[in-house]
Amino acid sequence: MALALASTPLRVVLLESGGMTFDAKTQALYEGSKVGAPYLTLEATRLRYLGGSSNHWGGWCRPMDQIDFEERTWMPYSGWPFGKKEIDRFFVRAHSLCEGGTLLYDRAEKFAAPLGNILPLGDGGVTTRWFQFSKTRTSVLPTHFGDRYADDLKRIGRLSVYLHANATRIGLDGTGAKVAEVDVATLTGRKFKVKPKAVVVATGAIETARLMLASNDVMPVGVGNGHDMVGRFFADHPTPRDTAFLVLFDGKLAPFYQGNQAVHGAIVRAGLFPSEAFRRDHAVMASSITIENKVELDDFGKAAVAATANALGVDAANHAAFSLGAGMEVTPDPDRRLTLDDERDALGMQRVKLHMRISDSDFGRFRQTLKELGRQLLATRAGMLKLNLRSRSEWLDVMDWGNHHMGTTRMHVDPRKGVVDANLKVHGISNLYVAGSSVFPTYGAANPTVNLLSLALRLADHLKGALR
Amino acid sequence: MKISRRDAIIAGGSAVVLVGAGVGAQFLLRKRHAPSPYDDLLDLLADRDADAQIGETVLAEVEEFDPKTMADDLRTRIAKRPLAAVLAEDVADGRVVEASGWVLPETLGLLCAMAAKAEA
Repeated sequence: MALALASTPLRVVLLESGGMTFDAKTQALYEGSKVGAPYLTLEATRLRYLGGSSNHWGGWCRPMDQIDFEERTWMPYSGWPFGKKEIDRFFVRAHSLCEGGTLLYDRAEKFAAPLGNILPLGDGGVTTRWFQFSKTRTSVLPTHFGDRYADDLKRIGRLSVYLHANATRIGLDGTGAKVAEVDVATLTGRKFKVKPKAVVVATGAIETARLMLASNDVMPVGVGNGHDMVGRFFADHPTPRDTAFLVLFDGKLAPFYQGNQAVHGAIVRAGLFPSEAFRRDHAVMASSITIENKVELDDFGKAAVAATANALGVDAANHAAFSLGAGMEVTPDPDRRLTLDDERDALGMQRVKLHMRISDSDFGRFRQTLKELGRQLLATRAGMLKLNLRSRSEWLDVMDWGNHHMGTTRMHVDPRKGVVDANLKVHGISNLYVAGSSVFPTYGAANPTVNLLSLALRLADHLKGALR
Repeated sequence: MKISRRDAIIAGGSAVVLVGAGVGAQFLLRKRHAPSPYDDLLDLLADRDADAQIGETVLAEVEEFDPKTMADDLRTRIAKRPLAAVLAEDVADGRVVEASGWVLPETLGLLCAMAAKAEA
């Protein structure tokens, strides 16, 4: 945002809680409690210094799909206020900021062809599509935004960056309809106020909701929370391990499925995704499937492979099996939410409490996609698939998460259904905006970084006009 | 070295005996299955014992499984066509079953289930 506003006459103040590197005391400000379904420790799932959670970003990039923006009758609370084209306008710039190399994505298939064959999956619901990665720079993968762009920030004359400066309160004026000031505190005891023309909160989906809820001196329910929406709809991408085994009868797997490959000026990796048509026709959520390690099958598995290959008339003497990883979309859920806890942090702010939930139907819908992949492998006689997880406890036993916090200040044109409007302005507050994936009403399965950057650039574009 | 006619006859005879013994042992040691009314279907399976184990897990997924009715259904479905062609039709039409998580063409899964029933 600061870089995008650099060429404007606007004077920008960037308040960063941390410094240039990790600091345990600052990181401890992220501590919170959680109840319900298992989830990550709140201070371990994000980072609090310049560049934020990009400092532990894996570098995975992929644009969201058109269907991710659509209202779907079978998916409650779905539908963005605009379509994919609206953020596509900013995607190239966002991709460039991520240092993703040549813009290939699904065009990578053409350039990767010399490395190996695409899995033959026929005309089914699952297809090969491509991730791109933030580039390798001097052994640092990927772009850490604070480190990478610190010098660029220093060169912006009308920008002031304050490190170790924690926003502790968004102060509304007497009408409750405008931000008058932002309280700032350091861990060394210094305090000051910023009196802004407009404020953009870009502190991640957990902290943004916390700051808005905790700023409750004028509006007792918190800033922008007149309809009790702030903090609801928390989401992340479940990334369960070893969800299935994929067997290839001839044992041959192109290297771009199992790891990153340098192709035509980009670093790419192939994944398996449900097509938009399959998602619509079968009411399944978005997901990404990655092919991981080679695995040894047990005797039952070997018998299943032998029986199936024999019946299909295929030679499976050289078969190989691989475990499958996944990134799943979850159904928007208003009760998967953040509230304030009674405990307070070192700056006196109330800590946050996560009420975590995950629906069995989300597991079931992803399983449906995996089963379709299995059907396609049989149809092309290329291989077969074993589904490893069925019961809720089996899914939860292998659960991990993408650290992709989303949804807590969701975007909707109706203030009763969302916290921010289509311009990312908080409903009912004339000069407060939110940047980041907390505004996502639904989540898709694409890694959010490059997409939230597109949205942030769009917001910067909007502010250039709105604050003129 | 010169081989006499007598040595050649003995050597040839011994070979015949050894081959015969091998074939006989294979026949004697082969797992024998009691005849069943479904052998025309079970003969489509390459390894009836292993496939019966797979079939046990298919049966766990099926609420009702009457072997006679199923055999009639399978005979109609297969209609003396090659099994691979029937399985291709299954998966093209979305007919798959699970065997302990393994996604199988439905006809193959049901044949395995028939093998399990025949073993029972």
